[in-house]
Amino acid sequence: MKLDISIATDFGTHLADGAAAAEYRMGRIDPYVDICGCIVLDFQGVRSANSSFVNALVSGLIEQHGELILKILVFKGCNPVIQVLIEAAVDLGLSKIDGRTIA
Amino acid sequence: MVGFAGATTNPMKISVPVHINATRLLPFLTLISQPIASEEIVVDFTRLRRVTPAGLVALSATVIRWLKAHHRVRFQGLNGCPIADYLRRMDLLKVCGFDSAEGFTRHDSRGRFVPVKLVDEHVPEMGHEIATCLAPGGDEWGHPKADLYDLVFYVMTEIANNIRQHSLGLGYASAQVTRAEGLVRVALADNGIGILGSFIHARQPWSKGMNDPQGILKALEPKVSCKGGEPNEGVGLTLVSALARLTKSWLMIVSGSGVVQILPQVTGTQAFQLPDGGIYPGTIIAMTCRQEAANGFSKLLHTAKDEAGLLRRGTIKARFEP
Repeated sequence: MKLDISIATDFGTHLADGAAAAEYRMGRIDPYVDICGCIVLDFQGVRSANSSFVNALVSGLIEQHGELILKILVFKGCNPVIQVLIEAAVDLGLSKIDGRTIA
Repeated sequence: MVGFAGATTNPMKISVPVHINATRLLPFLTLISQPIASEEIVVDFTRLRRVTPAGLVALSATVIRWLKAHHRVRFQGLNGCPIADYLRRMDLLKVCGFDSAEGFTRHDSRGRFVPVKLVDEHVPEMGHEIATCLAPGGDEWGHPKADLYDLVFYVMTEIANNIRQHSLGLGYASAQVTRAEGLVRVALADNGIGILGSFIHARQPWSKGMNDPQGILKALEPKVSCKGGEPNEGVGLTLVSALARLTKSWLMIVSGSGVVQILPQVTGTQAFQLPDGGIYPGTIIAMTCRQEAANGFSKLLHTAKDEAGLLRRGTIKARFEP
């Protein structure tokens, strides 16, 4: 099963509300992680974003489901700024898992 | 209650200085932050000749704070103030609850200024509106002003989120482009509990014994936040300050008695107290950058995150598709 999510359709072209992203992740993505072989987060049409939004969406996923989620997660249609934000959010999520492991 | 000049008994008078710019903002903040001993406050604009967005948002947040504390506020001397129409165009009077006739026609402000606006729940829309105004056309990816658009959107939305999540007050934003100098000025101010106040409010143990400058500096460290597990993970202000350094911008953060600034020509961060024992109840963040300083924004953002220790070199595991 493949889950295709159009971020622009659900949030519009400008992303900055971290609380909304966290809520969305919990309701719209988390329940499908264990039953989907591929989750595509499609950022096509998204013009701008900030760390609040992308961290809440992406770091939260990794923190919640572990590093293995990266095997099924695909980021599509990202402009260079969104890509930088996602890379940092992934690293943030991984570092939080590391921190947990060490603790 | 707000109103224009009229007779009253023993009001407290605040005379707005001639200039409220980068060097004179701090004494102005001390002036408007003084304890209010009177039921009524009269703000006299007669001398005012120049004011930056930081001065406008600080005054807006302060007037609203006075009104919330049930003071009466009157504006005086606008008839003799040569920039009274500018103050009206910047919506200072409107935001402060004054309803006055406008003797001018409002023109398209794109590429020039953003009037004072309340930071409400529509933070993404506000960020887009301000970025579009300061960098017209930049909303289109690949446009020559796209990088400036991205910088403004990022800075405004991250700071606005902080105001909404932590200040417990109302926030105001404004911005301006100076075409001759090629500068962009953005500013946000709130009338909340301040940065250190928000740490204390969240009962962060390390906030015990801190003063305001130390509180601001702490907020600039990565992954420091008032709330554990909050959406932005405590990196918003860290990255705003890192971007200010990388773009050789001027960044000033005032909160309580503390001031922290980053100057384009000075390495490092300066932290000190407001002059004359001033204590601004809330937080002000103002940034001035050259328009071309935002060029290559995605690389700047990457460098900012790297320098803040938010990237794990060589371990990028995200899968991207076109």
